[in-house]
Amino acid sequence: MSHAIRADKFLLDADRTTWHDETLWFVREKRDRAVYAVPEFQELRELASQIKNHTLSRLDLYLQEFEAAAQANGVHVHWAADAAEHNAIILDIIKKQGATRVVKSKSMLTEECHLNPYLIQHGVEVVDTDLGERIIQFRDEAPSHIVLPAIHLKKEDVGDTFHTHLGTAKGESDPQRLTEAARQHLRSKFVAGEVAISGVNFAIAETGAVVVCTNEGNADLGVNLARVHIAAMGIEKIIPRLTDLGVFTRLLARSATGQPVTTYTSHFAKPAPDKEMHIVIVDNGRTQQLGRPDFRASLKCIRCGACMNTCPVYRRSGGHSYDFTVPGPIGAILSPNIDMKKHASLPFASTLCGSCTDVCPVKIDIHTQLYKWRQVLGEANEIPASKKWGMKFMGRVLASTRVYGLGGQFARRALRLLPHGLTHAPSFNAWAVARELPEAPKQSFREWYAKQPQPAPQPQSQVPA
Amino acid sequence: MSASRDRILAAAKANKPEELPLPEVPLFGGDATAERFTTVLAGIGGTVVWLDGLESLAPTVQQLFPEAQNTASALFRGTVPVDAQTPTGILAAIDLAVLQGEIGVAENGAIWLPEANMLHRALPTITQHLALVLDRRRLVATMHQAYAQLPGTGGYGKFVAGPSKTADIEQSLVIGAHGARSLVVLLY
Ligand code: SF4
Repeated sequence: MSHAIRADKFLLDADRTTWHDETLWFVREKRDRAVYAVPEFQELRELASQIKNHTLSRLDLYLQEFEAAAQANGVHVHWAADAAEHNAIILDIIKKQGATRVVKSKSMLTEECHLNPYLIQHGVEVVDTDLGERIIQFRDEAPSHIVLPAIHLKKEDVGDTFHTHLGTAKGESDPQRLTEAARQHLRSKFVAGEVAISGVNFAIAETGAVVVCTNEGNADLGVNLARVHIAAMGIEKIIPRLTDLGVFTRLLARSATGQPVTTYTSHFAKPAPDKEMHIVIVDNGRTQQLGRPDFRASLKCIRCGACMNTCPVYRRSGGHSYDFTVPGPIGAILSPNIDMKKHASLPFASTLCGSCTDVCPVKIDIHTQLYKWRQVLGEANEIPASKKWGMKFMGRVLASTRVYGLGGQFARRALRLLPHGLTHAPSFNAWAVARELPEAPKQSFREWYAKQPQPAPQPQSQVPA
Repeated sequence: MSASRDRILAAAKANKPEELPLPEVPLFGGDATAERFTTVLAGIGGTVVWLDGLESLAPTVQQLFPEAQNTASALFRGTVPVDAQTPTGILAAIDLAVLQGEIGVAENGAIWLPEANMLHRALPTITQHLALVLDRRRLVATMHQAYAQLPGTGGYGKFVAGPSKTADIEQSLVIGAHGARSLVVLLY
């Protein structure tokens, strides 16, 4: 199913679409205010971009440096080539502990690997502890945004969900009271958690520490109460030095939600006495992306979500319409790398307006890459026939002045004469489904121009002697 | 070593681009005043309270948190002794923790809290309320300056910027998600 078809479902509720659009635009505006308050923001973006470029150009070496430092800290380091191996490694650690209860803080990588269903299938209770994640876990949904996983839901939806799962009063929709109910519920889970799984925002090669950024403190609470901490990281999370972290912590939260920094920026390097720490380093298609010069820059992404918040298509189609772990503009670049056929429509879910590129804190050329994917998909015959033939036809028309002129004449007449039902037939003209066509002028610009009196010849300018 | 490790490293080596330089990160400075720190912290839900000196810590804390029953601190006499071995059940009942912060960052209100100052790694998040004591001379302008002053990040350590919060329900800001419901910074 294409992005456009799934988006249609979201668009059925016009009020909700408008609300979704406005909510995300509000976050985008908060981002702008936070960014303008930092005089060197553009300089920081450039530094972040260069640090990431450099890191990717020595990725194998930094991964080894990181591994050695982490092992020296007493951390167990594991390597997973793909999602299946990632899941198996984590289940194995849990099994060895004889544990059955896992608390998890937000991690898009474990989403990408579908870890939750795998663990549940193997008899492990998995509790997502980030409030937004917990809400969608109750509802058996996927996150619709990488930073704001439940952004597609209204407070009444959350109220209904909590009424069913947590026994809150029917009709309760006050965010404060709903959050309090979740706090009580999740505290009991934290206290009972045997193994804690977290994601990784940054991994520092120099120190072997992983850095986790949250606002709720759920990663810290889970990890520090459980016996075992498992941190799952993609190979692209590496940065070389602690000093580089100063750049990224200044960019991440400002770009994501407009906060000056996340509430907790936690550095985990060594397990507490008598406890264990594991890091699972995951590839899952990333080294392949590294080998594609046109798309390699997508590995610089720090998952701030700014490109989604600003994207006019994302805001009006909702995260679920992308049907991929990472939605929005960056997801549309990452997904065809994983499965070109399945995600062929995503690089077309963009107006190519470039707004995503403008806000990206690590300067990924997002809209250029979307454009490049379209070429790749075209060559690979992954473009829907209607679009492809339409493009081919227009290409011919635009290539010849004569054909273009004739076509224009024909179109103007046709638009005046053909009935609305035909020009707007959804099967012929998807463009006109939600749009009116302009009234066709009687004359083209060229015809009008030809009838104008020729301008008088300009006097020759005097060349000074 | 695992076969996957070797495969991943070999693929990263084969597919990486030509080496590009690592830039030096300048020590961006700026306003490091207590006024700026106070304003920024207020903007993210925290509060600054001035102490005349460390002698006035106990009475100030009593005045600020008259209802706190179970308190833990290395700086004044709390009611619950906490160390790395304290069981979860006891930690979960703590109302207030008063801990020493090391460095404050004026541009974002964050305070560096190293493991050595936490009593137990879970204490700063499991306590209902958190008070961090900070020497005003340890205020810096930016994160770059803060990291430059750290000897390292140790086994565990974190920047804390305000109380635990969430905006996951319709983007309404709610203070007190899982961690401490309030953060007071006691500046002296
Ligand atoms: S591509 Fe850029 S803007 Fe989008 S999530 Fe990644 S870092 Fe943020």
